[in-house]
Formats: sequence, C-alpha cells, structure tokens
Amino acid sequence: MNKISLGVAVATLSASMAMAQDYPLTIENCGHTVTFDVAPESVVSIGQATSEALYLLGLGDKVAGTAVWFTDVLPEFAEVNAKVERLADNTPSFEAVVNKRPGLVASQYEWYVGPKGSVGTREQFHDLSVPTYIWPADCVGKDNSVGVDGTREELVSTEVIYQGLIELSQIFGVPEAGEKAVADLKAREFAAIERAKALDLTDTSALFWFSSAKMDADPYVAGAKGAPGFIMKQLGIENVVDSSEEWPTVGWETLAKANPTYVVLADLQRRKFPADAIDVKKGFLATDPVARHMDAVKEGRVLVLDAHAMDATIRTISGLELLADAMEQAVSK
Amino acid sequence: MQFAFGGVRPALTLLIGVAIMVAALGFALVIGETRIPLADIWAVLRIEAGYPAREVNPIDHGILWSYRLPRAIIALSCGASLALSGVVLQALLRNPLSDPYILGLSAGASTGAVAVAILGFGAGALSLSGGAFIGAMLAFGFVAWLARMARGNSAQATSSLALLLAGVAGAQLFHALTALIIAKSADANQARGIMFWMMGNLSGSRWPDVYLAVPITLIGSAIICLHFRALDAMTFGREAAQSMGIRTGLVMGVLISTTALLTAVMVSMTGAIGFVGLVVPHAMRFLVGVGHLRLIPATALAGGIFLILADIVARMLIPGQTLPIGVVTALVGAPAFAIILVRSSRAHSG
Repeated sequence: MNKISLGVAVATLSASMAMAQDYPLTIENCGHTVTFDVAPESVVSIGQATSEALYLLGLGDKVAGTAVWFTDVLPEFAEVNAKVERLADNTPSFEAVVNKRPGLVASQYEWYVGPKGSVGTREQFHDLSVPTYIWPADCVGKDNSVGVDGTREELVSTEVIYQGLIELSQIFGVPEAGEKAVADLKAREFAAIERAKALDLTDTSALFWFSSAKMDADPYVAGAKGAPGFIMKQLGIENVVDSSEEWPTVGWETLAKANPTYVVLADLQRRKFPADAIDVKKGFLATDPVARHMDAVKEGRVLVLDAHAMDATIRTISGLELLADAMEQAVSK
Repeated sequence: MQFAFGGVRPALTLLIGVAIMVAALGFALVIGETRIPLADIWAVLRIEAGYPAREVNPIDHGILWSYRLPRAIIALSCGASLALSGVVLQALLRNPLSDPYILGLSAGASTGAVAVAILGFGAGALSLSGGAFIGAMLAFGFVAWLARMARGNSAQATSSLALLLAGVAGAQLFHALTALIIAKSADANQARGIMFWMMGNLSGSRWPDVYLAVPITLIGSAIICLHFRALDAMTFGREAAQSMGIRTGLVMGVLISTTALLTAVMVSMTGAIGFVGLVVPHAMRFLVGVGHLRLIPATALAGGIFLILADIVARMLIPGQTLPIGVVTALVGAPAFAIILVRSSRAHSG
C-alpha cells in the first residue's frame, strides 16, 4: 500500500512540477472549511511543527512571527529563523498575533487555536478576516476533548504530516515545493522501514519515556496511537503501552514487568520537571531498584530521541531512522 | 446508637482496627498493576527479614519491596495525618467543613512546587518536594498572620471565623500565584504536571519518603493525643474551654502548627489528596462518638486504612494505568459523606 502511494506521489510530482496553484482554493481543515482567493502574503505560526514545515517549504520569507518553541530550530533552518520575529517562546496573546496583520494563522495544536484555544478560537480570527489552518496531525483521527493531551481514535501516520505539507504548499501557491518535500520524506521513511524489515527481528518492543512530574512518580510515556506508536508499528516493534491517550502516565511496575527491548528517552530542552533532562532520566534507570533490572538498561539499549520527533512533525521521520539504526547496531553486535 | 465503649471494648476495638490495618497493608502488597504470585511475596518478605528463601525475579522483588510496600506505608501515614489534621481543625475551628487544606496549605504547596520547577528557585539544591513544603509553610504563615491581624479588630469569639476566612483568602492568593507562574513561564507543550500537586499521587513513594513520613506522623499523632482533653473542651467553644482552665491560645497555636506541619509534609510528598481529612473524622464520630480519646486513634487508623484501600482501587480501576488517588478519594468520599450527613441528622432528630 505504502509502495503504491509512494509511486503515485512520485508520478504526480513529475506531472505537476510546473503546475501553478488554482484559486480560489478550498480546504477542509479540522472541521472548518477555509477558502483562499489568493495566496496569503504572510503567516503567523503558532507551534514549532508548523514553523519548521513552512521553512521546509521555502516559505521562510512569508513567516511574520512564530511562537511555541519546544527545542532549537533544526540547524538547516537556523539562518531563516533568525530573521523571523519570535512573538513568544510559549503561548502568544491573541493581540500579539493579530497585530502582525497575518494573511494566515497556522497552529500546531487546537490547544492554541481551536474550540478552547488559549490564543483564540478559530471564529475569533475569522471574524477579523484572518484565516486559520491547524496542523492536520492534531485533529485527523484525534479527539482533543478527551484526555490531557487529547486522545487518538486511530493510529497517527505520516500521511497526516504529508497532508499538512501539501496543504500549506497549496495555500501559498507553491504545490511543487510541497510535493518535493513529501517525496523526500517518503523516501527516507521507506528506506528506514526497509532496513528494519531486512533485519527480520521478532519479539522486539520499546518504551518511549517523555518525562515525569516527580522523579519517582509514574512517568509520561508514549501512548499506542501517537507518532511513537506509528514509528514502532512501521518498524515491527511492539509498544509496551497500549493506552490511546497521547501521553498517558503508566506505573514503573507495569513498564518494568513489560521489559521492553529498547527504552527511548525524550530529549527535551524545556526544564519544567527534573526528569526533563536526559541525564536525570538515565540516572533513574541506572539506580531505581526496579528499573535498573530491565533488560534494555542492563544491556545498554537506551536510546535518546529529540522530543519533537515524538510528535507528528517533519522530524518524526528521524525517529524512524534512529530506531532503525539502533536495531541494526543491536543485530551487528 | 453508639457502640458501647466501656472497659475492655476500646482495647478490643483498637486491636480490630490494627488487624484491619495489617490486612490492608497485605492487600496493598498483593494487589498491584501486575500479577505477582503469593509465593513470591512470601519469599521476598522472608529474604528481607533475613530468613532463607528462594530467589525471586529481581524485578518482582523490587516491585514488592521498593515500590508496593513503601507506597502502602506512605498511604497509611498520609491518610492518618490528613484525617487527624481534619479532626483537630474541625474541633478547634468548630466548623464541620474544615479540612487540612482550609489553612491554604495545598495551594501553597503547588505554588512552591511550580516555583522550584519552573522558576528554578533554589538553583537545583531544592527538590520539588522541598519547594512544596516551603510553599505550604509560607502559605500557612500568611494565613496565620492574616487571621491574627483580623482578630485584633474584633472579639475573641470570632477568631475561628477569622482563621477560616484568612484560609480562604490565602488559598486564593496562592492559587493566583501558581497561575501567574504557569502563565509567565511554563512550557506550553503539555497542560499537565501541575495536576500532580492538585490531585495527589502516591506513585513516587519510596523508602526515603517513609523514613520522613512515619516519624513525623508518629510525633504529630502523639502531640495531638496528648491534647485530647483540650480538644474535647474546645469543641464547646473557647470560653468554655478557658473556664475549664485550658490555655486556649497556647493549645490553638500548638495544635494548628502541628496540623500544618503534618499536612505540609504529606502534601509535599504526595500532592493534595482531598476528602480524607474531611470525611474520615465525621465517619469516626458517627462510629465511636465525639470524645477525642477514642476519636483520635480511631480516625488515625481509619484514615490510613482508607487511603491504602483507595490507592488499591486507583491502581485497579483502569488496567495498565493508575488514576490520581484524589479522584478515587473524592469518588468514594463524596457519597460516603452524603450518607453520613443524612444518617447522622436522622440520629440527632430521632
């Protein structure tokens, strides 16, 4: 199935290379119909995922402001990003966003721009004739009214990431950039999956540890259906957590007994809890009377992954690659 | 209506209470997120007591001895402390709705925790629990100061009311401070984390916590026990107590500080667990009467047992996931409170 869609994408890519976008453009986005008569002149991006997606599409000069940064911008976009005003590290105010007179507001989460948006509702922006676009990964197959970080109704897939890239490129009238970006990412995704398949491993499982509110307390771990769940499924790895919540808390008792093959630690730049730091997480695994007996800890199969790759973003692909690398190394040992 | 408590009966009741407590601890060892055979539990207990026994899988051993047992002891200790604090405050403030958080302690604890976590107070030397403890004591200090200022303007009789109102004001102030810190500087990635301090959570309980919680609980309980007569007298009001020769100001100061310390230590370890301090004292008054000599040990035991059982339910309700214990205590506590309310009013009228 994936191979077919890859083939189709490559075919459309070559067919549409020179094609310009037709307007008016109508997009169904997270329960809203958004229509564009012309490509917007500028955009405010709330959320690192949308900011980096826009940079990837070569739209850096259209970005009038960004907000909500979880980690440093990807090194390849550092130069572009340096020229863009950062409205806030975290949640920007409604007026700070509107003040930029953006032609579009793009948001990574409905948490910021949505029914209970902390920046504003979509209607608030639409009343001021500012169209909004939500990163599809946050609403396709996801119910944000359930669970602390929302609950996935179905397994997220890279398709929603590609959908986001394609739609943003269409909105800005550069569909060929979207299709090229998607083709590149798909090629990397496909290669990583093939590498994992070639190893033909069985009984491989993993645990993605995001952080913990208090050091010894039940940790926040990746649920079954978010980006980490997708990464694991694609590589033939079983997630030891089966909750549908995006980041459920699960006790160490359950996690240690499940004894995953790999423990993947989220590398966060924020410092909200002690366990946000990689060294603190590693220290816990080395000393906890139970966790230190897990096979992954004893045999050195503890990996580190950029936290932003654990969200459905353009970085998710690097998560796939990291795990595939680790699996290859484990086999070659 | 009350069960007879002459001569031998109180000792017997206490014995039954202790037996139930031991049984609850046993249940907490046996029941968990995962299944561990009874034979393994027995073997681990023998090994740890220094007797010969067969090897147990180190993960299971660790789960039983380093996770489940300290967690159950913390639940016992925390439940007892909160329930006792409830008894004392309900008597001293002569207000049946008083609970340990009426002094603004839980609000202060969450402020302290976020100040350490987000603002980096203490520059790494201060743990979240340490921050929570300091926050709780600061909030209490503020409430006590405010109550004292308010009392200065009015008659002695209103001092309980002044403390209650100061507690409400203090809680509001510290909740606002928490909100301010979060709004100013929290990472927006996750809306959670602060929930830990608001809802209560026993999952991080380890032996070092036990070494702190148990002595504090024992000392606090002893201080409260020694004041049982004063508490009986204060139930009839300050003036009545004074006429019986009790130095009410001193007693108030000692007992309220004791409850504040007990609660602050517990909140700093487990977050704010609601309803235990409110419901258990009322339930025990219904069972053993209002005399504090019986009420104090009964409440301490019942509070501890209640929290151990609530924690077991929290671990079992959703397989593979643990609910915040505050949710369970509220789910059980609110209806239990309603039943007590209805039945006790019938008993009074009948």
